[in-house]
Amino acid sequence: MAFDKPACHTCESTLVSRLFCFSCNALQPFPRETDLFEVLGFPICFELKSAELEERYEKLSLELHPDFYDSAPEAEKLLSETATAILNTAYKTLREPTLRADYLLHLLAEKQNLDERSLPDGFLAEMFFLQEALDELLDSGNAVELSAMHDNLQNRKKDIEADYAPLFKKHEDHPEDSGILQQLQTHLNAERYLRRLLERIPASD
Amino acid sequence: MAYSEKVIDHYSEPRNVGSLDKSDLNVGTGLVGAPECGDVMKLQIKVDPQTKQIIDAKFKTFGCGSAIASSSLATEWVKGKSIDEAMSIQNTEIVEELSLPPVKIHCSVLAEDAIKAAISDYKSRNED
Repeated sequence: MAFDKPACHTCESTLVSRLFCFSCNALQPFPRETDLFEVLGFPICFELKSAELEERYEKLSLELHPDFYDSAPEAEKLLSETATAILNTAYKTLREPTLRADYLLHLLAEKQNLDERSLPDGFLAEMFFLQEALDELLDSGNAVELSAMHDNLQNRKKDIEADYAPLFKKHEDHPEDSGILQQLQTHLNAERYLRRLLERIPASD
Repeated sequence: MAYSEKVIDHYSEPRNVGSLDKSDLNVGTGLVGAPECGDVMKLQIKVDPQTKQIIDAKFKTFGCGSAIASSSLATEWVKGKSIDEAMSIQNTEIVEELSLPPVKIHCSVLAEDAIKAAISDYKSRNED
C-alpha cells in the first residue's frame, strides 16, 4: 500500500516517522488520526521485519524522550510526552503479530461491512466443550493431560498466526475480494477464544 | 476492577448453574460468544408445553465476573415468564440491576443474546 510521506514542518524534508524529523531533529505536531504505522514510519502492510521495528523504535524513543525536552518551551515538552505515548502504543501494537493483524484489519476494513463475530462452523460449541474439559482437568490436576491440551491449543494458535501474512498478501493482490478480510476476521476471533483457554492452563515448571 | 455487590453476589453464589436435557423438545439451548474477549455463554430454558411459560432455566458461562453475573441474572429473570416476556428482556435492564460499568456492557448484551438464542432454538424445534 502506498505510504503518503508528509513533509517536516520546519525544514520540509520528507518525514520517515510522522512524529519526528531526522534531518533537522524537530518534533512534529501530528493529527489525532495518525495511524500507528505512520508513527513508526512503516508502510501499511502486515510484513514487518522485527529487527527494523526494534531499531526504529529505539531511535525514536531516544529522540522523543521527555527528559530531553526538560528545558524546552511548554508546548514542545507536552508534544514530546504525547509523541512518546503514541510511539509506545504503536510499538506494542506492531511488534506482536496478532495485535498487528488485528490493527491492520481494523484499518483495512473500515469501509467494508464485515461480520465482526464470524467464527468457523461449530467452533463455539467446541470452545464450550474444551472449557468444560479444562474445568475437569484442572480439578483432577492431571499434569500430563493439561500439558497435552496446552500443546494442542498452542499449535492451533500458531497455525492461525501463520495464516496472517499470506492472507494479507492475498488481500493486497485482490483488494476487491472482501471474503479475504472476512477470513482474517474469523481467524482473529478464533485466536482470541484459544488464547482465553490457554490463559487458564498454568505454566508448567 | 470494582465489581458491584450484586455482581459479587452472583459470582460467588451463581443461581441456576447447570444443564438441561438438550434433546428434550421442551428445552431451548442458546450458545453465544463474545469474540472481543473470548467469553462463551450457554443458557437453556425449559418451557411448559401447556402454559408456554418458562419453568426452568440453567446456564454455564466461561468469562469474567460480569458475564457470569449477567447470565445468572438472566436465568433468574426468565423463570416464570412467558416466551414473549422473556424475549423482551433488554440488556440495559441487566446493566442497571448489576451496575455494570461501560467496559462490561457487552456482558449484558451477551446475556440478552443468550436468552434470545435459547428461545429461537426452542421455537425452531417446536414449529407447529
